[in-house]
Amino acid sequence: MRLRIAYTKIEDARYIAHLDLTRVFERAIRRAGIHMSYSEGFNPRPKISFGFALAVGTEGEREYVDVDLEQDMDLGEVLGRVQEQLPPGIRLLQVSALNQGAKPLMAVLNAASYRMRVPMALPIQAERLQEAVGAWLAREHVTFSRYSKKGPTDKDIRPWIKQLEAEIRGDEIVFELEVEMGNAGSVRPEEVLASLRELENLPLDLEALQIKRTGVHVSYQGEKKSPIDEA
Amino acid sequence: MSNFTAAEIRRQVERFLPKVLKPSRYLGSEWNAIRKDWDKTEVQMAFAFPDVYEVGMSHLGTRILYHLVNSFPEFLCERVFAPWVDMEETLRAKGIPLYALESFQPLKAFDVVGFTLQYEMSYTNILNMLDLAGIPMRTEERGPEDPWIIAGGPCAFNPEPLVGFVDFFLIGESEEQLPEVLRLIAEQKKQPVSRKDFLVRVAQVQGVYVPEFYHVSYKADGRIEKIESEAGVPAVVEKAIVQDLDQAFFPTNPVVPYMEIVHDRMMLEVMRGCSRGCRFCQAGMLYRPVRERSLETLMKQTEELVRSTGYDQVALTSLSSGDYTCIRPVIENILEKHGAEGVGVSLPSLRVDSFDVGLADTVQKARKSGLTFAPEAGSQRLRDVINKGVTEENLLTAVEEAFKKGWSTIKLYFMVGLPTETQEDIDGIVDLAKKVANLGTKLGRRNITVTISTSFFVPKPHTPFQWEPQESKASVDLKQRYLRDKLRDRRLKYSYHDVKTSYLEAVFAKGDRRLAPLLEWAVKHGCRFDGWSEHFHEEVWMEGFKELGIDPHFYANRAVDYDDILPWDHLESGVTKQFMMEEHHRALQETKTIDCRYDQCTGCGICPGRGVQIELKG
Repeated sequence: MRLRIAYTKIEDARYIAHLDLTRVFERAIRRAGIHMSYSEGFNPRPKISFGFALAVGTEGEREYVDVDLEQDMDLGEVLGRVQEQLPPGIRLLQVSALNQGAKPLMAVLNAASYRMRVPMALPIQAERLQEAVGAWLAREHVTFSRYSKKGPTDKDIRPWIKQLEAEIRGDEIVFELEVEMGNAGSVRPEEVLASLRELENLPLDLEALQIKRTGVHVSYQGEKKSPIDEA
Repeated sequence: MSNFTAAEIRRQVERFLPKVLKPSRYLGSEWNAIRKDWDKTEVQMAFAFPDVYEVGMSHLGTRILYHLVNSFPEFLCERVFAPWVDMEETLRAKGIPLYALESFQPLKAFDVVGFTLQYEMSYTNILNMLDLAGIPMRTEERGPEDPWIIAGGPCAFNPEPLVGFVDFFLIGESEEQLPEVLRLIAEQKKQPVSRKDFLVRVAQVQGVYVPEFYHVSYKADGRIEKIESEAGVPAVVEKAIVQDLDQAFFPTNPVVPYMEIVHDRMMLEVMRGCSRGCRFCQAGMLYRPVRERSLETLMKQTEELVRSTGYDQVALTSLSSGDYTCIRPVIENILEKHGAEGVGVSLPSLRVDSFDVGLADTVQKARKSGLTFAPEAGSQRLRDVINKGVTEENLLTAVEEAFKKGWSTIKLYFMVGLPTETQEDIDGIVDLAKKVANLGTKLGRRNITVTISTSFFVPKPHTPFQWEPQESKASVDLKQRYLRDKLRDRRLKYSYHDVKTSYLEAVFAKGDRRLAPLLEWAVKHGCRFDGWSEHFHEEVWMEGFKELGIDPHFYANRAVDYDDILPWDHLESGVTKQFMMEEHHRALQETKTIDCRYDQCTGCGICPGRGVQIELKG
């Protein structure tokens, strides 16, 4: 039986690296006394697969994982038993059994939304903020330099942006961002803000930036769906 | 370092945690981590491992003592590891004191900070951690509000280079001794007596060594003249020992880290001690006598471990698990009971002469990842000198079986610089390596890899080789280069351990309390993580020796006389000095000593001297 589970990765769990997350789930399921299916071959591994990696330190409000079980089980029972064995910050939200032949998460997910909270380095007016965001979105191309071991590479990040909204709350600006994701990569939320600061002169204190991924989606023709409903 | 509260530390650390490497090292919220109510416990202890998280968490002793102390409702124990250099830099930049993982309480707030001494090259980390915690390094600079700094582990059998930094040492096995010490600390908190009176009291506990009650004087040539103990403390401190290992505390709900650590699996201690009697091996002397756990105990512990950890592998640990008399039934029972849940077994140390290919095959059913053997020396003569008791025939038989069963990766460990070593012994390593590779080729195995790995012999206290000098760095370096040239074959891979750190290891292993200022100097000049080659700065150490007028050769390269007083002569492992001298003689005569487990008593002194005995369950 293949399950698709929605879960949170918040609080201390946000520091768990993506590669370590497999181990965390694998061990929780084993502690719960639930038998997983294993891959064939030289070095059998339990069949667990995740969606897009979440950067270390970024919280995820609704992430997904697929797990193969050896036998059919009651979904509520699986959720309850595994939840008891998970470390703080990982809460299971929803589970559903996948149809035969359902595509894996990485094949269906193609969008993600983020909420970013940034203190203002200098006070700004609401109109000025909206103008800046509008001007940035109006650009056809936005070049951003990424630094890697090989040196800087320029990349047009604009095509990945589906939506960007901003609002002032107290001395912070709260951004809601929706981006496309896919095999060809994506854009990192902090890159969008760095570019906004640079190109539109927005005084953002990016040192104190807090990012949360609010969801990952299956999106086409303007419709956003959860990979659970879609499966 | 002002007075940070736990909440303030937590708030500040969270701000930069995403920016440091592997932040899950610093969380303390792992599965099975124990978070106790600080105010409802009588004594708060921080267990400190002077290396990075993934090394410390892989250490069985850490797991045992952490859970042991926490098993007492009146005691609290939290963990702290050496922060990696990027974390240290951030802590220093923000003025945040080193904190314990579970509560984020600063180390300074604890009643006792206990370091484990596994490796001489981590000594600088101890001082650095004290400094990061804002605790004065020197015992005399600490006040009543500072924690007691204590230390135990194998290096506590010669802790002299740390004298002046550590208030007292726990020598031997701590399962019974540490709780007794903590009870005294609880008493001291309720009805304080003077520091000195407390130390006299704690010195009465078996295996507790309070160095300031022992006075060392030196001869003009630098050798020790005498070691005198003050009245009221034992003249010779004898190690603490667990009488009944089968009933001794063992944690079956260990902390399961988020991140991958060095030994990321369940650990089942099948026995303690080893009586093979390899003459270079310190652990083999320190952990005598051999005591085994029963099959029933191990099966119960495995069941609990699987339920509480969710790990898929259980390692059967000891100094030589192939010698455990119930090894086969343990493995079979575990696989029968837990194999269906995907649980496998691993055997980290197998001797060539007790190697059973069927056993290796059972435990590595799916993954034939490679087999490791440790002949230690290249010739029979030298293997007899070190009493390894393994023959070339043993090795080739074992390897042949392994090749036939499908393995193609074999690792061979050797030591270079062993006492009496000649060119022939070095050539013997090359011959043996080639014989192993040729055997594989003859048996039609393709893609054979024989990895030959050499390390530099370090004479260790409490071994028959404690009187031996370490060979010079230059000479061993030449030997390793020679091997590198001779082992050119596409089936062979050669790796060797850095000579420079092993040299310093010898200095500290055989060092005395006159080295303490050097440690302090080295830490002030940036030394830490000296066991990590990327952080080891030989030139700084050499400058320190020069600056402080200390001759490292005096410690590492001097042949010590039987009449010389050794810096650790007032500390006893239970194996007598007489026995070690006899063993040293037999080594030079190339004579083997039998294993008392299977034959008569060899008279090492441990059983009659400590009222313990060998305990075999099979």
